[in-house]
Amino acid sequence: MTDKPVLTLKDLSIEFPTPKGVVEAVKALDLTINPGVRVGFIGESGSGKTTTALAVMRMLANPGRIAGGEIMLGDTDMRALDEEGIRKARLSRVAYIPQGAMNSLNPVMRIEDQLWDAITAHEGTTDPAELKRRSDEALSSVGLPDHVGRLYPHELSGGMKQRVCIALGVILTPELIIADEPTSALDVVTQRQVMHTLQEVQKKIGSGLILIGHDMGLMAQSVDELAVLKNGVLVEHGTVKQIIEAPKHPYTQDLISSVPLVGGDSFLDPSGKTPSNRAGAEPLMEFRDVTKRYGQVTAVHPMSFQLDGEVPKIISIVGQSGSGKSTMGSLMLGFNPPTEGQVLFEGQDISKMSAAQSLEFRKNVQAVFQDPYGCFNPFYRVDHALKFPFKQFGLAKSEAHTQQAMEEACDAVGLDPSLILRRYPHQLSGGQRQRLIVARALMLSPKLLIADEPVSMVDASLRATILKNIYDLKDRYGISILYITHDLATAYHVSDYVMVLYHGRVVEAGPPKEVIGDPHHPYTRLLIDSIPWPDLNRDWGTPEEADRAIHMLDTGQVGTESIFRGDVPGFSLKVA
Amino acid sequence: MAEYSTDDNTAEATHKMTRAERRQARRMRRFDNPWNNPKLFWGAGLLLGIIALGILGRLFWDLELVFTGSGMLKLPPIGFENLRGQEGTLANPLGTDGAGRDILALIIIGAPNSLFVGLLASLIGMSAGIMLGFTAGFVGGRTDDVIRVLSDVMITIPPLLILVVFQASFGDVSLTMMALLIAGFVWQSPTRLIRAQVLSMRESGYVQMARLSGASTFHIMFKEMLPNLVPYLFGSFIANVTTSIVTAVGLEVLGLGPQRIPTLGRTIYEAINAGALIQNLWWWWGIPTILLAVMFIGLLLINLGLDEVSNPRLRKLS
Repeated sequence: MTDKPVLTLKDLSIEFPTPKGVVEAVKALDLTINPGVRVGFIGESGSGKTTTALAVMRMLANPGRIAGGEIMLGDTDMRALDEEGIRKARLSRVAYIPQGAMNSLNPVMRIEDQLWDAITAHEGTTDPAELKRRSDEALSSVGLPDHVGRLYPHELSGGMKQRVCIALGVILTPELIIADEPTSALDVVTQRQVMHTLQEVQKKIGSGLILIGHDMGLMAQSVDELAVLKNGVLVEHGTVKQIIEAPKHPYTQDLISSVPLVGGDSFLDPSGKTPSNRAGAEPLMEFRDVTKRYGQVTAVHPMSFQLDGEVPKIISIVGQSGSGKSTMGSLMLGFNPPTEGQVLFEGQDISKMSAAQSLEFRKNVQAVFQDPYGCFNPFYRVDHALKFPFKQFGLAKSEAHTQQAMEEACDAVGLDPSLILRRYPHQLSGGQRQRLIVARALMLSPKLLIADEPVSMVDASLRATILKNIYDLKDRYGISILYITHDLATAYHVSDYVMVLYHGRVVEAGPPKEVIGDPHHPYTRLLIDSIPWPDLNRDWGTPEEADRAIHMLDTGQVGTESIFRGDVPGFSLKVA
Repeated sequence: MAEYSTDDNTAEATHKMTRAERRQARRMRRFDNPWNNPKLFWGAGLLLGIIALGILGRLFWDLELVFTGSGMLKLPPIGFENLRGQEGTLANPLGTDGAGRDILALIIIGAPNSLFVGLLASLIGMSAGIMLGFTAGFVGGRTDDVIRVLSDVMITIPPLLILVVFQASFGDVSLTMMALLIAGFVWQSPTRLIRAQVLSMRESGYVQMARLSGASTFHIMFKEMLPNLVPYLFGSFIANVTTSIVTAVGLEVLGLGPQRIPTLGRTIYEAINAGALIQNLWWWWGIPTILLAVMFIGLLLINLGLDEVSNPRLRKLS
């Protein structure tokens, strides 16, 4: 590990000319990466981490340009290479594993053809048998069987596609691998598998690795050195141990403390007295033997529950992607009718409501969705999203009253109304938009709020703030909340009751201290073991253990029974 | 040579801008305001020129000259000589045709007529397309099947073939009637375009938000979805105007279409019929052809410009 560094960045500056002047995306960055070392680039979106990585490959999007500094890949000056030299260096010497592996594979080419393309583009025509041998080898190095090579991308799961991308990245044994948030679209269980794969392959070929991300926990478990970037400036660089245990820069400290942990201190401060905003005999939301099937696939197995809403509660529904948790959300919103059974709101079947009842139901059951970017109509100013429902539900007394309500709601979620209102959605950040959606829910003061992965697309540093806003809805404004998430650590803190879903079945349910603090079901345990902790002493487990656990669950050897871990008043759950 | 504003306190900020940089800055401004697009300006300018010709011509030129025998036969434009050795005169600055009709008066009436047929047909076709596209995308099921199959079948039928039969059986038609007939063949592509957009927008976050806000279907269609479709609709509309004019002119050149109203196509038809090509009466068929070319180039430029507006990827920055 003491030989020449594989990558040396000296005084690197990158700028983007825009109509409003030149934006310096990266300022005077100095960094060296030694062979066999994994370096994490961490920082929030816009901090320049991807820009730096792309500059190394000379793949900056127009009109970005390298304003100054040196990029040395081994002995090669990357800035001096011509078009053809760059083409040769890409993939064979420095490989890039993109963020959205789902979309980076050619949908009309077989996997092995894409791998062969990479070889022939760099080494010229190669013997087919040799190509086949090398592609099989690359696939097996990422733990995929040979027959995957004959498949098309759409026949693979997200995790498998990401592994194919890794195989593509390492097939020419590059000196440096750049992985740009390779697991951001994957759930925790798959994330752990993919990260293990990436680490193993990297160790085997002995290359340097740049891992770009914003999750301190994931970094702690997967890299050797950390480079913390903020607004294009490298604010801290050192070994993971140094940085996690003794962060010097306040921004690094923020990043570390923003990771919610299971157990540990809560980032919330409950007010103690939770107001109730309803009185009525009928339960607020009720599922009666609800089943949802899409063709042959059962998304939700028969279940019944009653949420009486007398005292507002936060019920968390956790599970991997495909576990049926979002389906439950859309059933409750009435976007999707159940295949069997009934969904009732205050004793009324929501599929059999009259127009007036339906409007009342809409007013009382609101939602916060995952994607803060899609939730605003790009044609209108953001006010539209707040103002329209307010008027639609007859809450607005006058124009001035609407304006006042909007400003109050913005204040309540910690946004400055004078900076936010009257803007267009694209002028706001993801975090600001998501808070605005929470403000919208607050203005309507519904009785029930369905929060479907409200923070998964928001920067890690903002997650705690937004969750606190959501928690306040319950705590201060008496709104019951169904929190749908794959993140057990946040569910642990905010919820009063947790349901763990696996393939549409409730496998474990009960108060969070029991279910997440001391899991009994093997699936819940698998989920919790898969969470990367920003704690170097905590083991992330081996890939073999994880594979075995998943296999046993899939084949039904363990965990076919639902485990109930105690009740909370006001919520009852029954599984058929 | 312009300079960077000096409040930009970077080291390079004060250096003089090179030509490339100024060009870059100009592109940037265009990127910022997509409607500020030279193609759009030029295209709109050409079309407005044709409309201006119609308006100014009606004010300043004697339109009675459009009738048969109002001037000498086969006079050339000013500055040219015809085969008989006659010079062009100020009374007929663009010459006259084989029946003594003034070419300038012909195009003053004819050019706006052709544009009018195109615009009207496209407008009717678009309206039908918007209604059908939204219905198909929103209602789905059987309705969607019917609309989709119908528009797919209609796309495969060559319109000129059917229109020739129609026109032949109608005899003389008015401009409006012809626009209506052509409209029957230009509603399919907007229908398909809007249907596809509606299907994808239906699942978008803001439409779901609108449903959560208790919005009616009408509100979702016309207040949430339609504004975002505007660039596509514009593009599709302009493409349809072009198709409609081509179809209309095609019919007129075949001698169909309105018999008593001067149109550019009809003038070309008469020129060909009277042997203008052999007699070297180029102004008779040439001037209407140039006007049609100007019209098409204008429409094409507008279409390219709108493409760049609605598709930011086409707006080149480098």
